[in-house]
Amino acid sequence: MLCGIDVGGTHTDAVLIGPEGVVACAKLPTNHDDLLASIREALSSIVAVAGPAAIDRLTLSTTLTTNAIIEGTADAVGILVSGGPGIDPEVYRQGGHYHVLAGAIDHRGRETAAIDLDAAKAAVDAWLTQGLRAFAAVTKFSTRCPDQELALRGLLAGRADCVSLGHEFSGRLGFGRRIATACLNSAVWRVYNRFCDAVEQSVADLGMTAAINVLKADGGTMPLSVSRTQPVQSILSGPAASVMGIIAVCDIAEDSVILDIGGTTTDIAVFAAGAPLIENEGIAIDGRPTLVRALRTRSIGVGGDSAVTVSKQAIEVGPRRFGPPMALGGKVPTLIDALNVQNVIAVGDPRASYQGLVDAATPHGFEPEEVAEAAILNAVNQIRSEVAAFVREINDRPVYTIFELLEGRQVRPTRVYVMGGPALALSALLQDAFSEEVVVPESFAVANAIGAALARPTFSVELFADTAAGRLTIPSLGVARSVSGNYSQAAAEGEAGASLRDYLASIGADVDDAPIETVELSSFPMVEGQELAGYNIRVACQVRPGVSGAYKQAVSKQC
Amino acid sequence: MLKARHPLGIVFFPAYDWAISPTHPERQERLLYTQDQLREEGVFDIPGITELKPDLATAEDVARVHFCFPDVPAVTTTSHLISAGGAIRAARTVMEKEAERAFALVRPPGHHAMKVVHGSRGFCNINIEAVMVEWLRERYGPLRVAIVDTDCHHGDGTQDVYWNDPDTLFISLHQDGRTLYPGTGFPLELGGPRALGTTVNVPLPPGTSDQGFLFAMREVVMPLIEDFKPDLVINSAGQDNHFSDPITDMAFSAQGYAQLTELLGADIAVLEGGYAIQGALPYVNLGLVLSMAGLDYSHVREPGFDPAAVRQSDKVTGYIEEVCRDIVKEVRHPRGPGKGETVGGWFSRRKTLYYDTDAITEYQTESVRLCDHCRGVVKYETESTRNPLCLGVEAPIGACERCVDEAYRIYEAGQIKGEYRHLALMDRVGKNYLSFTG
Repeated sequence: MLCGIDVGGTHTDAVLIGPEGVVACAKLPTNHDDLLASIREALSSIVAVAGPAAIDRLTLSTTLTTNAIIEGTADAVGILVSGGPGIDPEVYRQGGHYHVLAGAIDHRGRETAAIDLDAAKAAVDAWLTQGLRAFAAVTKFSTRCPDQELALRGLLAGRADCVSLGHEFSGRLGFGRRIATACLNSAVWRVYNRFCDAVEQSVADLGMTAAINVLKADGGTMPLSVSRTQPVQSILSGPAASVMGIIAVCDIAEDSVILDIGGTTTDIAVFAAGAPLIENEGIAIDGRPTLVRALRTRSIGVGGDSAVTVSKQAIEVGPRRFGPPMALGGKVPTLIDALNVQNVIAVGDPRASYQGLVDAATPHGFEPEEVAEAAILNAVNQIRSEVAAFVREINDRPVYTIFELLEGRQVRPTRVYVMGGPALALSALLQDAFSEEVVVPESFAVANAIGAALARPTFSVELFADTAAGRLTIPSLGVARSVSGNYSQAAAEGEAGASLRDYLASIGADVDDAPIETVELSSFPMVEGQELAGYNIRVACQVRPGVSGAYKQAVSKQC
Repeated sequence: MLKARHPLGIVFFPAYDWAISPTHPERQERLLYTQDQLREEGVFDIPGITELKPDLATAEDVARVHFCFPDVPAVTTTSHLISAGGAIRAARTVMEKEAERAFALVRPPGHHAMKVVHGSRGFCNINIEAVMVEWLRERYGPLRVAIVDTDCHHGDGTQDVYWNDPDTLFISLHQDGRTLYPGTGFPLELGGPRALGTTVNVPLPPGTSDQGFLFAMREVVMPLIEDFKPDLVINSAGQDNHFSDPITDMAFSAQGYAQLTELLGADIAVLEGGYAIQGALPYVNLGLVLSMAGLDYSHVREPGFDPAAVRQSDKVTGYIEEVCRDIVKEVRHPRGPGKGETVGGWFSRRKTLYYDTDAITEYQTESVRLCDHCRGVVKYETESTRNPLCLGVEAPIGACERCVDEAYRIYEAGQIKGEYRHLALMDRVGKNYLSFTG
């Protein structure tokens, strides 16, 4: 059976799923000071029901790495960077141990200036004396030629706990993103690995032999052992857990929108033909864009606890939140209070809600009911226009061929799934606002954990071959080799797919349950002088996020 | 973190599925390395820089500018309409204040396409800047526009389109026409009789480097723009003055291009030529983007660049100083329209034009009515190795009633006489575009 645990900001949800459906579930308050205790407690309650041997696979979604970064408990990292021509690498400086080295690689992966290893060695020696144990090395265009990064790792061999090299995270371009990703990875490496040790210990203590996986921000999983070297990939998996939960529970096949209306925000995700859309480049962590793949979501500051503000000109909801609704002892009226006054819901003390709206409405000459109605309408309209803008942005994404410009697929949602506390209360109004069909799936308390339990592994590879230079790289698999002049686009597609399949098999994934698709395939004739010099071939293959087919049936409901 | 001081919209459309022919300079690969460089630098992650998708220009957008014979579809492909649409998208971004400035990094280019189009010349079929400018004028009313063409080749197409338009200042900096295609663009080409001094040509000798280009910018381009007081400044941003360009002989660098861009402060830039696709374009385009956005570009340089190795000679410096002085004098006090003759209140000039890309020769007579109330109706009688005699008549923006009537009279008389195969009428006053095949 499959077990999923989602350690969220408020609650830790756990679920055990067998071929017949949900076998056990638990919902506990999250202990922020000791996430491991929350996991242990949740696991124990599951094991108590089903026994330790029943669990074949455990998938965790935690905020550990996110917290470490936000709370500043991550380690200081010694960062070696070489930029060459372009934007000044100082722009990407992080922390006090950041050294820019001479050295350059161009867009084709040719070394145009040697890396200054003497300077690197001096910087590293100084950092080691200062007690640094975590390092990152990133060079521009290292995805095209990782040699300089590898040379820097060579300098650190045996002298560091962790050395993150930029090219190992993704084959996608983005020097600044690569620096941020490698740096974050090293910063959380120690705290994350300690956590992994403790999780493995707890699992063993409970007598379990389950394979342990970790949920990623793109809604896929990776084995715990893999996450130890790439802890940054475990970041911000919370939203992914709820989106994967919806996929597991509802059978989504067409283009659709998912709204998760929470306390402070409404999160919007878009599905194209039943699969969630992935962020083009990568998610931003602590304000810095990275190469960490994530589901493409958007948030607006409209939720149940969003404050209602009244002025002569407008009655608005959010984006600020000053605490719980007045019905639950808050000091400022919120969307929940407005819904209470309009008798759409009955939460806490409705008299407190009413009094709050009277106090807000009277100075401006409004009736409380008038304000409540306008506030609810405002919330619904904000959500609607944000969804429209999001879909428009998706469809307006830049394309680079005439074919795509004319024939490119457009996302046209036909359904809007609404989840979260105020979902049912707002559904009728949302239906008025949206031309798409609005669906509120039956409430299920532990959807996030179901999402974590059933998510399947994801991975992507980018292959870059330059037959004129005779070079081929697959950065995320650490492949860099020579290639012959007659290497073709078809061979490249085959190699990218096979490498991805081999990798999945090597991490113990069920390869049949992980369909591989080619998302980018191009081959450019390279001309030098008037002659064809070779081909510049680019292939990207991925396993899209999805849920394990075998168990999906067991949890599916009519949505 | 960086933040654009001048918010910038970039329309990037490399047309990865279009080429003139497999090994032609205008091929799929042309903007590949530029895109790699821009993405690796994280240009689109910089707050204030937005990537935009091109619009698709319509046949009417083209017919507002060009007389296409036999018709618009015969001389354009979708790639040209997207390229022009990319320029339009850039202009729309600026006019609707989505961004302060915009750069259309699109292909194919357009600055060799003239008023009359029989096919492709200098890799250009339609003039994408002109299609953009006239789209703007159609929507936002009469605008005074300065177009500064920094492509290495003379922008003969743009010059031809705006030859008789006193509201468009066209300035071309280019390698001397005696040494490079298309062989025109000399200082005494100053515009038609009603638009003298709004066409400006600055031919520069082979070997001109950063120093020479920036001198011409400071001494000629900027003062003349200052005189003209345009509502919009547009840069036809060709990049083939680069020292590594395979088909030209200049010595301009990425740093030089970025400095020129900062000096000019254009509202809109549109990519033109530039065929050193690995050694120049990635760096020149990066420099341009950073410069337009008001960001530091001091670290942008070609790998292994040695300014001393490409610096212009003293002889070149002296020559450029002299030419620039003369040009400003001629432009401010033009001696009169160049070659042509005045007959019965019309000024006519004859042109023989060669379309190198499509191997077409065109024989054309352009006549403008010397009107005292407006720019005057213009007619083009043209035949080529592809089309028998054709007629194009334009009543320009701001044409007086008499000139508009005259335009319709000429168009109708042409149909009755039956000596023209294809006829087209452009009425910019009534926004009426007609064509007829006899």
